[in-house]
Amino acid sequence: MASKHEVHASNTREAFANFFKGIGEYFSDFGKAITKGDIGVKLSTIFMGAGYFARKKYIVGILATLFEALFVVMCIFYAAPNLAKFGTLGTTVRSTQFDPVTMQNTVIKGDNSFLILLNSVIALFLIFVFILLWIHNIKRAYELQQDSEKGMHINTFVEDVKSLVNGRFNITLLTLPTIGVILMNVIPILILIAIAFTNYDQQHMPPSALFTWVGITNFKNILSLSNNSAFGYAFFKVLGWTLVWAFFSTFTCFLGGIVMAKLITYRKVKFPKFWRTLFVVTIAVPQFVTLLLVRYFFGDTGIVNSICSSIGVTDFLKTIGLVKSHLTYIPFLTSPGWSKFMIVMINIWVGVPYQMLVATGVLINIPESQVESAKLDGANAWQIFWHVTMPYVMFVEGPTLITDFVRNINNFNVIYLLTQDTFVTTNQQLANANAKEVDLLVTWLFRLTNDYYNYKMASVIGIIVFIICAVFSLIAFSKFLSGGREESYQ
Amino acid sequence: MKMRKFVALAAVASLLIGALAGCSGTADEGNGGSAASDDAIANLIANTSGTVSLTVWASEEDQAYTQGLIDEFIAQYPDVSFDIQLGSESESTCKDTVLTDIEAAADVFAFADDQINALVDAGALQPISAFYTYDVAAENAGGAVDAATVNGQLYAYPMTADNGYFMFYDSSVFTADDVQSLDSMVAAAQAAGTKIAMDLSNGWYLYSFFAGAGLELNLNDDGVTNTCTWNAAGGTDVAQAIMDYVATGVVVNMTDDEQATALANGEVSACVNGTWRAETAENAWGANYAAAKLPTYNLAGTQTQMSSFSGCKLVGVNAYSDQIGWSMLLAEYLTNEAAQVGRFNARGLGPSNIAAASSPDVQANPAIAALAAQADYATPQRVGGNYWAPAQTLGEILSSGNPDGIDLQTLLDTAVEGIEAPVA
Repeated sequence: MASKHEVHASNTREAFANFFKGIGEYFSDFGKAITKGDIGVKLSTIFMGAGYFARKKYIVGILATLFEALFVVMCIFYAAPNLAKFGTLGTTVRSTQFDPVTMQNTVIKGDNSFLILLNSVIALFLIFVFILLWIHNIKRAYELQQDSEKGMHINTFVEDVKSLVNGRFNITLLTLPTIGVILMNVIPILILIAIAFTNYDQQHMPPSALFTWVGITNFKNILSLSNNSAFGYAFFKVLGWTLVWAFFSTFTCFLGGIVMAKLITYRKVKFPKFWRTLFVVTIAVPQFVTLLLVRYFFGDTGIVNSICSSIGVTDFLKTIGLVKSHLTYIPFLTSPGWSKFMIVMINIWVGVPYQMLVATGVLINIPESQVESAKLDGANAWQIFWHVTMPYVMFVEGPTLITDFVRNINNFNVIYLLTQDTFVTTNQQLANANAKEVDLLVTWLFRLTNDYYNYKMASVIGIIVFIICAVFSLIAFSKFLSGGREESYQ
Repeated sequence: MKMRKFVALAAVASLLIGALAGCSGTADEGNGGSAASDDAIANLIANTSGTVSLTVWASEEDQAYTQGLIDEFIAQYPDVSFDIQLGSESESTCKDTVLTDIEAAADVFAFADDQINALVDAGALQPISAFYTYDVAAENAGGAVDAATVNGQLYAYPMTADNGYFMFYDSSVFTADDVQSLDSMVAAAQAAGTKIAMDLSNGWYLYSFFAGAGLELNLNDDGVTNTCTWNAAGGTDVAQAIMDYVATGVVVNMTDDEQATALANGEVSACVNGTWRAETAENAWGANYAAAKLPTYNLAGTQTQMSSFSGCKLVGVNAYSDQIGWSMLLAEYLTNEAAQVGRFNARGLGPSNIAAASSPDVQANPAIAALAAQADYATPQRVGGNYWAPAQTLGEILSSGNPDGIDLQTLLDTAVEGIEAPVA
């Protein structure tokens, strides 16, 4: 085991070293291109097409210069006006004057902090991309210079275009998804990160009001444990429950799934297909329908409570102290302790069928030889389960387990649908931060943005959730997907 | 600088064009507006070229009636081509949708008056500084106009004045004298073996006890944070009174939904609720259905009248609308006397218009009469967002009998701390 860890650690170190070495090489190549390049290469630092012209690649040269011109136009008409206001996020507030005679408003257009932020981030991103392409262009020009010095063939424009559908088809294929990822993921994430450092909330809502940079104040508020910060108190409470929930929900479903699968594949069980189908049918019912129904079953005046009180369960729980004596019902989804327990239980109900399906697949594929040899060695069913079945299942399902854990940190549906509008916190400090005992970071985040327009705090929580998920995902990937894993299961 | 000059020029130009067009434009016969406002409408018609596209948001239940009004409105101006789209948006959640993207929100929208501060704060509402077809401030009840006013400026057109709460009761259980005091109601309900329901773990209803005792809850000038004196002298008496009533087992904490079920199956014979439950109550109690103002309650030995939040539904004009003039005219049309009378007849909603409210039909409606009686003790709802969660928790703790035995003063201090908290 020890050596395995060392290998693992050295792999990580190597990866980091390679990463920085790569960056170093990137810039040293660039320096070499500029110092050793001929006049064409040197000129291409100013006119991007110069290096191509020097190699008689006129069309590419014109395209590169046009691209550069387009960038300059973008800078002047889009980037500059927005970036000029980026430091303050706007100073003019919109004002209107109504003229009762014409029945029209005279409007003095104000700054829209959000649009300034959005456009600035896009502009900065474009500038960053341009710099990368600019460096690449100079290196390319130097490569061409070297090629022509060596007397190698230099592609014509037509040959360049043809290579995009043949040899370098991967570049063509990846262009569209890359643009999509940038528009859908990268830019919004950058905006989200930026908002965490502003005072964007209900009192500072564009387009009628401005918001501005406040540094790390928001992070200080949420991470401070002092009593005067309800947010700090609530954050650690909510974080604690989020992790507890993620742990229990992941492992209960996982183990439950394996046990179910094991039972169904057990030789003495009649009609295994029937049972399996029965469980799979529960998947076909949309989760939110199940949850909303279950929520009414377990409500304070719901059917489960009336059954429990008529058969005496409620009174029994009162005598043993699990239900407070003043209540006439079991607070399944209204007291913190009971709700947390019920949420995990109900999650088992809706989550186990999926895990059972996965586990069935894995169990069917357990090498029969191993089970047979264990039997020959005198192992009983229990020992076989723990020493043969479980290691095999863990080996196959390990990575899924970690990703499930990360997904459960963000498991919005179960918590929100079961407790929204019915669960009232009796913890006044939590209430002061608009949080509840059963909130996950993500449901708290939702309430802050949706009901209280507290975008800045929501962004801070979003970033923290992202960091937590990233850490767990990194562990998952380095632990379970590192190289040489195929040989490790014997 | 350049921009401002341009705007100034455009303003002057539009004034000129307006004046010129006003001379040649055909005068419209407004419904009783002054000569000046008729001129303004005539100008507007003359200045309007192309299609006037407007979006209106009204609640799901109000769609059919509102569509009828819109059609009548369009018919009033045959020279103008309109494209008015009616969308469905609940008055109670209108603010959320509008604030998400003000520029994409409807030109004219209906909302509950508790949202007016947030909407004004976000600059979403066009200030109503002129009236064209009727005098909004004079024709509506004072309370409704107050509810539509922020810092002395009218921001919306009152549409209904029935968004408050009062007491529904079963007159076979309670006499009209019983419902004057919560104590006698409790006695009568005990005798009959039924319950009195109220949504105590809800800041909206919880307010009635504290405000009745003269404790204050106000919105600060910033329009977002609150000032609250519930933890001042006498506050603990109010908290104790609520706990005492819950301890009788007769006054029960039920949400609106739970009350609907409990009314139907006969569990409760009285409930504190609003006009939207009138139908449920009437179905449950039939001829014994009755309503009254809220009763007095026993505050440390003194009978004290319960207060309440009054509420109106308002129609606002989006400050970012391209068609401010037409939007204002349409909003006026949707809220004028005729529209309010029609709305009462069609949907049973209590009018804010004084003339409409004084009609015998409206007066004969028990729920609306009760609401009118409660109006003397009601205040418009002026609270910031941080009120609700702490008040909800306070109500939950009190209505469950303070199970952890927290000192009442501490309980109130913590609640007030949350209510008064700055918007973090």
